Amino acid sequence: MTRRILPFLSPALLALLLFVAFPMVWVFRTSFNELAEGAYIVEAMTLENYTRFLTEPWYLVNTLWFSVRIALLATAISVICAYPVALYIAKTSGLQRNVLMALTMAPLLIGLVTLVYGWIVIFRGGGLMNSLMIALRVYDQPVRYMWDIKGVVILLVYIGTPYIVLSLLDSIERINPFLVEAARNVGANRWTAFWKIVFPLSTPGLYAGLVIVFSLNFAAFAVPLMIGDSNTQMIGLVIYREALLNNDLPFASALSVIMVSVNALLILGMSALAGRLILSRLEAKR
Amino acid sequence: MTRWDISTIALRLVTFSMMAFLIFPIAVTLIVAVNPREFVLPPNGFTLDWFRAAWSSKTFLRGMGVSLVLGLAAALIANALALPAAIALARTNFPGKGAINLILMTPLLIPTTILSLALYIYFVRVGYGSGLVPLLVGHAIHIMPYAVRILTASLLNFDPSYEEAARNVGAGRIRTLFSVTLPVIRTGLISSLTLCFILSWNDFPISVFLAPPSWTPLPVELYSYIKFQYDAVAAALASSLILLSAVAMVVIDRLAGLRRVLRS
Repeated sequence: MTRRILPFLSPALLALLLFVAFPMVWVFRTSFNELAEGAYIVEAMTLENYTRFLTEPWYLVNTLWFSVRIALLATAISVICAYPVALYIAKTSGLQRNVLMALTMAPLLIGLVTLVYGWIVIFRGGGLMNSLMIALRVYDQPVRYMWDIKGVVILLVYIGTPYIVLSLLDSIERINPFLVEAARNVGANRWTAFWKIVFPLSTPGLYAGLVIVFSLNFAAFAVPLMIGDSNTQMIGLVIYREALLNNDLPFASALSVIMVSVNALLILGMSALAGRLILSRLEAKR
Repeated sequence: MTRWDISTIALRLVTFSMMAFLIFPIAVTLIVAVNPREFVLPPNGFTLDWFRAAWSSKTFLRGMGVSLVLGLAAALIANALALPAAIALARTNFPGKGAINLILMTPLLIPTTILSLALYIYFVRVGYGSGLVPLLVGHAIHIMPYAVRILTASLLNFDPSYEEAARNVGAGRIRTLFSVTLPVIRTGLISSLTLCFILSWNDFPISVFLAPPSWTPLPVELYSYIKFQYDAVAAALASSLILLSAVAMVVIDRLAGLRRVLRS
């Protein structure tokens, strides 16, 4: 059996081994190397790149902690924006549904630079965003979005929301409508039916979307590169800069290892927290 | 269920505002691109001058050429690698199938920043630096999971007895592949190639890490342009990209169902 399948699987698996697994191992190894004068990499076994990161408050606070905060904020806003949309789309059908789905998925297929261009036009001084915010009385005078963290967060929310909508829809559409009807029949109001039935059953999709979007936001470098400024040092951008502009590949590698580990830890932490919350709800019910 | 109760209205209101948010930058770009007065809104007419300027810019045309070659090559490579894997996944059951499926999806699970950096370091260390090969490899590897997903789904939809019948009347493996399997999954293959092409064509993060100076894809070219000036010519180019993506969306949706394809 294996002999028959292997020829089919081997081209793809070989490509992944050569161009994903090996490079990732290589990054890990490079993170222990040294950088000599003239951007030469010297084979070594040093923790210097890690200690440089961990002992420098600028990296710890203004890069790592800053990225965590921005990623969490943008993810939270995306969830708040996506949830009602997914609930509404799940109820629709026909043309309305097709249009809503197309609008939701459009940002996923249109390239990032194209979308960023549109936002730059909106953000520019005296542009649409400022007129809109003043009209809505959010601010009473023009504020900066370009080269500012506000713009970065708006862009991250913009890119993240469609993913969460799609992933929530997967869960919400699987909910048996009779469950909600049954709850309503025994006297639950809309709100109770939502909290006791729809919301708990939507958590798998919510969680999947959350994990993807948080990881995307945490690793983002293109958005801070195009919209942000020197105060928006998200870790992905710092990696990009160290690798391509400063040519410090060992340090960029160490940053990548740190980024992936912190990401994994945060996701594990979030799942543990989610598990505890669900457990405590179950306890409370008893 | 009454259609006009308060919670449905609230949901609809929120949904429609979110849709306005999602379409906002796209609509603004399209309007600026055909507005005769640069950036002055509301528009006072209709012009294709910006498009003409964008489409006659040497830099942009060159970027289009690079992105076209890159996108076609990456899509072909990704699908050539993905098709046999998809056949194995759709046709057979073997121990560890779930794990293999997950492994095939890894390029989507690793943040693009990390994957690009890893490829960059890898190629620098093996003495290649940035060049056409790393760029092509980066694009092809990144889009391969999408091809595996679409092709597996379309193979699952078709009856393997066609293949058996072909084999029974004496067609060889290769002959069966080309005269039975490929024609039957033609729609799947076309949508997979379209999706892979458009993802590569629009990609920015991978290209920015791996593209050599002499091979700048269009999105990177557009980025370096708008870094210094964001005029209506850039809007016309961005609009051309939006329209191309829209065409791809329609093709993929008709043939494979866009939602099934984009689910991460």
